Amino acid sequence: MAHRLSLRKSPFAPLRSAAALAALSLALAAPGCVELPPEATSKAMATHVQDWRDEVLYQVLVDRFDNGDPNNDFGVQRRPGVGALARYQGGDWRGLENRIPYLKELGITTVWISPIVKNVETDADVDAYHGYWAQDLTEVNPHFGDIVTLRSLSKRLHENGMKLILDVVTNHMGQVFFYDMNMNGKADIQTGGTGGTSPVERVTEFDPDFDPRGIQASTSLGLAGRAPLIFFDVPAIHRTPPKPGILGEASAYHGMGRITNYDNDQQVMLGDFPGGLKDLATELPKVRETLVDVFAHWVEEVDFDGFRIDTVKHVEHEFWQVFTRNVRERLARQGKKNFLMFGEIFDGKDSLIGSYTKPGELDSAFYFSQHFSVYRDVFQLAHDAKAQKGTQQIADLWAERPKNYGTEPQENGIGVPPTKALVNFLDNHDRPRFLFDAAGDTAALRNALTLLYTEEGMPCVYYGTEQDFKGGNDPANREVLWDTGFPTSGDTFRHMAKLARLRRAYAPLRRGDLELRYATSAVGEERDAGLFAFERKTEDGAVVVVILNTNARHPSAPGSGGPPAKVLRTAIRAGTKLVDVLGPEATEVVVKGDQTLDVTVPPQSAMILVPDSDRVR
Amino acid sequence: MRAARKKLPPASSWLVVLATLGASRAARADGEPAPVAHEATTPAPTPATAIAEPVAAPKKAETEAPAERDASRGRFEFGSYGRVNVASDLRGGTGRGADVVAFGSRLDEESYAELELRREDTLPGGVATRVVSTLALLPPFFHFSGKLDTTIAVRQLYAQGQLHGVTIWGGVRMVRGDDVYLLNLWPLDNQNTVGGGIGKTFEATDTQVALHAGMSRLDTLYQSQEIPATAPFGVGAQSITYLDRPRTIETLKVTQFFRNGADRTYFRGMEKAGFKAIGYGEAHQVSAGARRDTNTNQDVSLPSDTGWMLGSQLTFFTGQRDTHASLVLRHAQGLAAYDPLATPDTFSLERTTQGASETRVVLSGNVEGGAFGVNGAALFRWFRDAGPSPTTFSKYDEAVAIVRPSWFFAEHFGLSLEGSIQARRYAVLSPEGDGPLTATLVRGGVLPYFSPAGRGTFKRPIIGLVYLATARDGGARALYPEGDRFRERRLEHYAGLTVEWWFNSSSYP
Repeated sequence: MAHRLSLRKSPFAPLRSAAALAALSLALAAPGCVELPPEATSKAMATHVQDWRDEVLYQVLVDRFDNGDPNNDFGVQRRPGVGALARYQGGDWRGLENRIPYLKELGITTVWISPIVKNVETDADVDAYHGYWAQDLTEVNPHFGDIVTLRSLSKRLHENGMKLILDVVTNHMGQVFFYDMNMNGKADIQTGGTGGTSPVERVTEFDPDFDPRGIQASTSLGLAGRAPLIFFDVPAIHRTPPKPGILGEASAYHGMGRITNYDNDQQVMLGDFPGGLKDLATELPKVRETLVDVFAHWVEEVDFDGFRIDTVKHVEHEFWQVFTRNVRERLARQGKKNFLMFGEIFDGKDSLIGSYTKPGELDSAFYFSQHFSVYRDVFQLAHDAKAQKGTQQIADLWAERPKNYGTEPQENGIGVPPTKALVNFLDNHDRPRFLFDAAGDTAALRNALTLLYTEEGMPCVYYGTEQDFKGGNDPANREVLWDTGFPTSGDTFRHMAKLARLRRAYAPLRRGDLELRYATSAVGEERDAGLFAFERKTEDGAVVVVILNTNARHPSAPGSGGPPAKVLRTAIRAGTKLVDVLGPEATEVVVKGDQTLDVTVPPQSAMILVPDSDRVR
Repeated sequence: MRAARKKLPPASSWLVVLATLGASRAARADGEPAPVAHEATTPAPTPATAIAEPVAAPKKAETEAPAERDASRGRFEFGSYGRVNVASDLRGGTGRGADVVAFGSRLDEESYAELELRREDTLPGGVATRVVSTLALLPPFFHFSGKLDTTIAVRQLYAQGQLHGVTIWGGVRMVRGDDVYLLNLWPLDNQNTVGGGIGKTFEATDTQVALHAGMSRLDTLYQSQEIPATAPFGVGAQSITYLDRPRTIETLKVTQFFRNGADRTYFRGMEKAGFKAIGYGEAHQVSAGARRDTNTNQDVSLPSDTGWMLGSQLTFFTGQRDTHASLVLRHAQGLAAYDPLATPDTFSLERTTQGASETRVVLSGNVEGGAFGVNGAALFRWFRDAGPSPTTFSKYDEAVAIVRPSWFFAEHFGLSLEGSIQARRYAVLSPEGDGPLTATLVRGGVLPYFSPAGRGTFKRPIIGLVYLATARDGGARALYPEGDRFRERRLEHYAGLTVEWWFNSSSYP
């Protein structure tokens, strides 16, 4: 390098040109430094809801909604048009975010997504695509994206005036340990007996039947005490000791085996959920503290607006009192108010459901009793005159509401009493699609949707309803939505969109107090068979009258029975001209002098009547 | 070669020189054997071995008088590159590589060796031919694992002929240019395919042009799949190739020298000095296909895909003791962002790599004088996959800078120090949630060695002791799973023995 450089013919000129060209090319092509979206590091938490009664909820099984990123399709088994619905299909949070315009067009305002946490991947050749087999409550399920993707979804929804609800499970974890009943250190499934002198019995250490003593170990010499609970260690499928903290210890579980009798309160509270989902000892302060902390943390991380809580009836009331109070207080301190917590009490007993909405517990609950006695019995069975129930069953159920449910808003809750904020639904991921049991009767579906959107409370629609999905029991009712291509021109889609528009336009459909105006037990050839009517009125005097005919065979009108014949009487001033804003004909009805309405409603259809002076054009 | 040095060498000889200069670490023009290049620790993404420019020609044939070439002459040659490393972590375990970037220090890389056997002939009419076979050996080695097995790869199996300055070759061949020794990296071009090419040197302008085309069909579900099918006759099944879509790659390389010659003088007082400028491009294609998901018995369509790469290299060399400096710029799009021996594993929504990119800036150089020498390199690399997610481990930036000063304190003994820093930043939120996950490590080491071949950064063989201390930050540790000691330890030791050799390689004569 000590040599002196002298040039006669300069090689540098072309080199300089080449270098400049190369540098320019690089500058143009270089992608710049790695950057994360702004929401990656900003954790702004705010109150996004004024009144939950304004919301239209939409339940999304994330794995089934839309696939926005094929690169997280780990282990997906797709059989378009065929099935394998017990396996991951590839949907993710990015796919959901991409479809916000679709949801807006449908009129959805709140999205409830399936659980987000890391699950045991698979068990007995069925995958945890649904998210209810938690393994690590502190990590997101990588099938659906990462925390940044989830925050992005939350942010985009909020930017579009929508809300996001997180599905949480406090009752159990996934299939994370086995009961070492024969104390051989491994998980066994054994079949014994001859069928002759000894019965043939199958014993599984994964999911043994409930034993009030706790699952017992035994040898050929007899009982040997409580069976050790041994956590699996299979990292490839995330079947490893649960997290965080105490959830990875045997002491955090009841260890009593699987519920076999749902009428047995002890089993319901302390037993494992069928499928080997291990029941948490939620009475332990440390477990309670952990569950409050992890789920409140997710709200802080992602700005969720509410919890949908799984398997509520399998956890003691004292837990819910502690959980809801602590979550509300913690979030309120950070500016998150009106945080909704509603629970799944999968039971037809109205009083049981309502018991979890009493003071100090949940803001709301799925109205399962209505699901069975109204949407199933009255609407879904419209095709079967012998099985269908009259609308009086609706009236009877609703009449119980003030008694069975909380009538005052929860402290630090959503500001609305549970009686007026129940979550109404036709079907969900644990029930066959409405159309499955309705024998494909789409008129019944749309009629039921009309009630869903107009009654008190919050309508909650299961994804795919708008596309007339008709799958049967799980997992057939968990269809892949993106296979449809997301059309928005279907009759059901347009009907739902219109109902949502009407809810937005007419406050009584959202916040009005409800007065029942007509119900009947008739389901046959009677004049008023299937007729049902109610009136909703807000404090400022705005009023809407909803009249439904659940009868599939003939038009119905008030007036059967008696004497005197039943009438549809309203509280609206006589002479008021009402206009049906639901039907395409904009039928007009004038309130008669005795404040009754003389209307005839076609089979399986409805009228939403508003005073012509209040009509939104 | 000694006589030839007094005037402009014949074209074929320039090809040899080109090949020699191809090793940026060894910009030699004196005809002395140049060092052989080296193999990456793992075959992908940039496997390597030591073969230089494909237009290189047998050295002996060029140096013989025309009269002697009239008669057919030939011989077998054996050459080799190899390294064997063994080390302790000073905690009772085995020393272990700690890189967080694709190309880090080669001192802690795994052992690797190539055995090359070739036949070289000079035929009547001045035609020179060469047939080369190169086998590569990878661990486990018997004396370490106790297992009587090892991994053997056929890295080269090709024939080449040369006439009137035109070289034609075909077969299994590593086709690539200069490497960066310290990083075990071929920064501009590195083709590992089955194919052939043609090269030509233009003496008047000191220009070299080479075309190569090859294909590879990796044994992955991206390119190939065999499934059972009912046998057409009799009972049972037979295997059919259901997915078959090789990647084809065409390359064009133009090399221009600026150096002193019989009719041109660029550098006075530096007779052997010169510049080398390279323009390089690649085109990649893979056809459409479908693979069968054997779990669901459904076809998964795989659309066709393409990619391109453009790059350039500028190298200055003094021609004295391997002193040189080099700059490489390179940008690839689509399929070309992925090495030929690597399969894309993330895709766009259309299942293609369109939108993926890789950009490199590489600086390297070596200076030697007296009893001292300094070798150094820096690499900046930006990689983006085609996936729709902005947050993914498949989008990242990385950089590494490394320097190795050496003191040749005796003719056959030297002492090198090595310092390096490397970092990779992923488009993934860090565990602390405060920004992108960034893994960084700083490494320092010492390498006293015995060099039977004498002084010089690239004299081989060397037999040395090595000690490396690597400080790893939280980001680097976060890349390892729980239970892995690399997740916990901030400081890693690597203390052991390193041996490296190269000789008589066909590519670096």
